[in-house]
Amino acid sequence: MTVTAPRVPKPTVPPRVAPRRPRPAPGSRGLSPLRLLGMAFVWLFTAFNILVLYWLLTATFKTPIEIFTKPFALPYQWFERGDPFRNIIYAWSNAGFGRAFLVTVVLVAVSSVAIVLVSAPAAYALTRLGVRGSNGLTNFIAIGMGIPFQTVVIPLFIGMAKLNLTNSLFGMFLVYVALSIPFTVFLLTGFFRSLPDELEEAASIDGASPLRTFFSIMLPLARGGLITALILNAIGLWNETLLALVFLNENANFTLARALFSFYGAASYQSEYGGLIAGVAIVVLPMLVLYVLLARRIITGLTLGAGK
Amino acid sequence: MTAALGAHKAGRRRLFLPFFLPAVSLYVLFLLVPTVATVVLGFTSWAGAGDTPRFTGLANFGELLASDSFRFSFLNTLLYIVVGGVGTFLLAFLFTMVLRDMRGGKTVRAILFFPNIVAPVALGMFFGIVLIFRPNRQGLVNFVLESFGIDAVKFLAPENVTWVVTGCLIWASAGFYITILMAAVDRIPPYLYEDADIAGASPWQKFRNITLPLTWDVIGVAGVLWTIGAIKIFELVFVLAGPGTYSPPIQSWTLGVYVFDRSFGTAGSPEYGMACAAAVVMIALVSVLVVMLRRMMRRDSVQF
Repeated sequence: MTVTAPRVPKPTVPPRVAPRRPRPAPGSRGLSPLRLLGMAFVWLFTAFNILVLYWLLTATFKTPIEIFTKPFALPYQWFERGDPFRNIIYAWSNAGFGRAFLVTVVLVAVSSVAIVLVSAPAAYALTRLGVRGSNGLTNFIAIGMGIPFQTVVIPLFIGMAKLNLTNSLFGMFLVYVALSIPFTVFLLTGFFRSLPDELEEAASIDGASPLRTFFSIMLPLARGGLITALILNAIGLWNETLLALVFLNENANFTLARALFSFYGAASYQSEYGGLIAGVAIVVLPMLVLYVLLARRIITGLTLGAGK
Repeated sequence: MTAALGAHKAGRRRLFLPFFLPAVSLYVLFLLVPTVATVVLGFTSWAGAGDTPRFTGLANFGELLASDSFRFSFLNTLLYIVVGGVGTFLLAFLFTMVLRDMRGGKTVRAILFFPNIVAPVALGMFFGIVLIFRPNRQGLVNFVLESFGIDAVKFLAPENVTWVVTGCLIWASAGFYITILMAAVDRIPPYLYEDADIAGASPWQKFRNITLPLTWDVIGVAGVLWTIGAIKIFELVFVLAGPGTYSPPIQSWTLGVYVFDRSFGTAGSPEYGMACAAAVVMIALVSVLVVMLRRMMRRDSVQF
């Protein structure tokens, strides 16, 4: 009896499966109407964002009449006339976006690299050199993130004008580098702080000079952080408008955001909405591509400061 | 060996100044000195380049209080910070309740985050075109309203535009705060929610008793980030409410627009002294709000 009894239920026992994530308790998935409502809202919100992107992409290839009378349809009028890229070409050559694009790419690339080159040693010095008062100094720099640019822009403009650095891309470069330092230093101190002590000690025991330890041990280790800092600054500067508006006032020096700003008034006055939306697309699409490629890095980088 | 390490430590200390000085001197020169200069110039009467500032004490601030444009600017800025902030955070909380164990949550987060890397000027123009009121050639929103048989609305008229901007602001920033809060929610051990489920807790109870207390510190930091971001709102309002090349009607102004209009805006003669005084109000407002927020959010940290 005691021997045979366990044998009977054996075939009904299902084969053991690999460990899985614990199943949510009853009531937590899909059942409550409140939850369904919440999920519907979340998906609706998401769908709306996708619709916005669809509208922008299609409108780039539409005539103003199509934009306003057939907002959801696919573009066809410019295609029928055999000139599908008419809006983009208009914005690129007639509205000066082509030149602005080149200026922005160069300015943003050079400035972002310079920002990281200046900020990385500072962040390293603040976190790794064991100097007393480093925490206080880090906070002192971090406070700069809370200063609105509007409060520095007037004296800065007067000072730069005295040095003949207004309406000059070099002046713009200096302003961009200097004003991006608080955020970048703060971001990078987080990265340097997370590196292990042992590597530095090992390097010093092996006779590496402090400078060499920084360049050949710590910088490569913090590479992830440096790249994140580079990308976030590039995005920020690509979209920057207020400073460009104040410091650049000649078409030849315009950045994309600045060119878009100037084009807006003229375009809406002439009902040149096709060209205007193409201009918006020229500003937005490079960021969209970057975002699709690097979404994870951008999101974690931008939210890092808050999560820690 | 300890001696060698000690010598090495001293050598490393010597690196401090050459490493730290370039960054901090740029910071002081381009950010701190101009801020101090703005505070000083806020107490002067100064038309701009070519004029010399004259000390006038508090006269600028009296004039600010008496002017309609500044009152609108101040109240609108406060409105964006408070109403926009409450709206954004409520939305973010709602999303954290739903997104925590929803399939495809990561994708949803990535899509919602996207507006944060779009230039505010581009966002403003996009909304400007989408919300335009022009019979027979309506923008997208009025087009949809009319196709449902609802009367089109003049979204961008001065009396409505503040609320429209608030809505756009909430839409555009929600993704950022959802991501921050979700990163914190993901660190909460799931067994707490499972226990709550077994005890029959409603989503609201789970939010109130688990999510909220365990993400409190992150909410505090996010609140500070919101405040320092919302105080400088400028481009979005400037292009959404106005024709783009010069300032929008004063009912829609923010402090950022006020400073720009009085200094670099093309309409009228510049008044740098007044602009600096308004900028001083901006710094004072952001400092007061951040300190208040930190006080309000202070409490003993919860270990988990």
